[in-house]
Amino acid sequence: MMQADAEVRIVVVTPVGTGADCDIVAALERLGPEAVISVTHDAAACLACCRDADIDLVVAHEGVGDGRVQILDALRSSGPPVIAVNEKASESAALQAFVRGASDCVTIGPEFADVMPVVALEQIHRWRRLTERGIAERRIQDLQHYNDNIIQNLNSALLVVDNTGTITTCNPPAEEILGGSESALSGRSLWDWFAGVDASEIHVARTLATGERFKGSESMLTRADGTEVPIGISCAPIIDTTGSRLGAVAVFSDLTEIKQLHRQFLQTEKMASIGQLAAGVAHEINNPMGFIHANLFQMAEYLVDIRKVVDEVEALVETVAGGDLDAIRAHTDRLSARAREVELDFVLSDFAKAIRESQEGSERIRHIVADLRDFSHHDTESRVLSDVNVCLDSTANIVWPMMKHLVVLDRQYDRDLSEIWCYPMQLKQVFMNLLVNAYQAIEERVGEGPRTGNIWLKTEERGRCVVVSVTDTGVGITPENLPRIFDPFFTTKKVGAGTGLGLSTCFNIVERHGGKLTAESIPGERTTFVVTLPRHDSLGGAPPRPNPDGRS
Amino acid sequence: MTAGSSRPALLVVDDEERILSALRRALRKEGYEIVAADTPQTALQWLSRRHFDAVLSDHKMPGMTGLQLLSQARELQPGVALLLITGWTEEIPRDQLTRVGVAALITKPWDDARLKATLRHCMAPRPAAPA
Repeated sequence: MMQADAEVRIVVVTPVGTGADCDIVAALERLGPEAVISVTHDAAACLACCRDADIDLVVAHEGVGDGRVQILDALRSSGPPVIAVNEKASESAALQAFVRGASDCVTIGPEFADVMPVVALEQIHRWRRLTERGIAERRIQDLQHYNDNIIQNLNSALLVVDNTGTITTCNPPAEEILGGSESALSGRSLWDWFAGVDASEIHVARTLATGERFKGSESMLTRADGTEVPIGISCAPIIDTTGSRLGAVAVFSDLTEIKQLHRQFLQTEKMASIGQLAAGVAHEINNPMGFIHANLFQMAEYLVDIRKVVDEVEALVETVAGGDLDAIRAHTDRLSARAREVELDFVLSDFAKAIRESQEGSERIRHIVADLRDFSHHDTESRVLSDVNVCLDSTANIVWPMMKHLVVLDRQYDRDLSEIWCYPMQLKQVFMNLLVNAYQAIEERVGEGPRTGNIWLKTEERGRCVVVSVTDTGVGITPENLPRIFDPFFTTKKVGAGTGLGLSTCFNIVERHGGKLTAESIPGERTTFVVTLPRHDSLGGAPPRPNPDGRS
Repeated sequence: MTAGSSRPALLVVDDEERILSALRRALRKEGYEIVAADTPQTALQWLSRRHFDAVLSDHKMPGMTGLQLLSQARELQPGVALLLITGWTEEIPRDQLTRVGVAALITKPWDDARLKATLRHCMAPRPAAPA
């Protein structure tokens, strides 16, 4: 039992030529082969050994005198234990050694060989335990430091909340977004930033309640000063080794700038689409404007003619008052001649016809403007519950004029389609792009044979998705171009005819809705674009909204 | 064929009946013999049947553009004056205008006085045409 079970390194310090070294080494050798014993004869050599190797124990003989004091002083705070060995049992010598920091004191005597290894082993074990705990503690400290470094230096905002939503950790970017220092934020409830928002609409709250994870979702938080910050957020529950949830960790970023850029980008793309649209709408408005304008001009001339006749009638009234029958007869003849000259019958009937036609024209313009209003209405910053049929239809109405001379449009809408949470204006932009592309594909093909083309618009519900398809009989997309059509700036249109951003923007918009945009084409036959939009809730997460009866 | 007619003959083509009506109204006192066609096909039938001094056509029509129609009109009647009228002039390729030999491009809504002046100008100098 006295033997060491793992390698132990012991340094012995004894004066030269006393034989004490032999006694001590012999006693220590009883610890067995695991004991590695070095013998030195002065403090310097002993301390050098301690520096160079992990020494578990120093045994110092009183014969080295001041050297022992030096060793005790040097090792007192953080070195291995020192056992003082004295020649005679002297309380004062032992006391002096203890005062100087010796861990134990052994006297050379008949039982030395038995006592020394026991005391040595005890001191070695004590030291080992101390150093192991020290290492473990240091490891924990290092790990904490390491984690802190990661969290504090992360570019993304990170915060941790406990199960009640109280902030326990947050890093500088999080402080910046939330508006406040960590000391002020720690311990506060995260819900303060979501005042008036239902818990089912807060990602972190849902994570705490159900363990649900979110990735790249969007949300809006409100600072104490009332400013709203759009954020992109990912969050997950924190689970301990036993599987119970301790809280949630959320990584989020400020989307203000991205939102602005995105708005600009959408605006650019919208302007490009509007350019195409303008041609169609201008054409459609300028036709009725053309004849209304011309008719007004003509009506003014008719009025001049009518005025001539009326002037004659007024003059006749005066003549009649004069009572001269001959004069009256002559004047009546002049009136008839004037009426014939200006073609009064025709003028009156055509005046009425011109008014009718112009009224019909202005009615048409009123319709076009109403369609434009329907189309541009609903430019919301956040998702709203909308009917995809209405989005598609108002877009078709607005694009229809530019294509009606070439296209037979067939609308097959599922009238029972569920409403979805979406950005209606953005969806309209997608539909407009798809419709304009379909039209241009038909335009390209017309003249090579067919005089007109077909576009089919179809909406339907498949599972938990609303599916919109736009099919055309235009030129189609070649198999080598098909994989590239959603790439930014890819276009096969003539310079100036397309930005090359249309379909890539559509793709992004549909993706932002959590949906898919796909295309298939048989060149020369038909091309179909399919927009699949999930009927998910307002958060954009997968879980369903509570049913109207309250069950989730 | 009214060979002896002293009135210049004008063919107006537009798929919009109201435009035809307004053009007739506007040109009523200009002394033209006006024939209206509401499809390019009808216009081509007229062109193959009788002489015209000028054709004034809309551009965007079902089945055929005004430019295509005017190009065929030129083949049928080399001396005819060609005018295009449209609600959106941007859509007309300029090089094709010159190639087909379009004398004037008129925008809807049109200016009454300018339309009349343009037509007079296009239809007057016809030394080669039999009067």
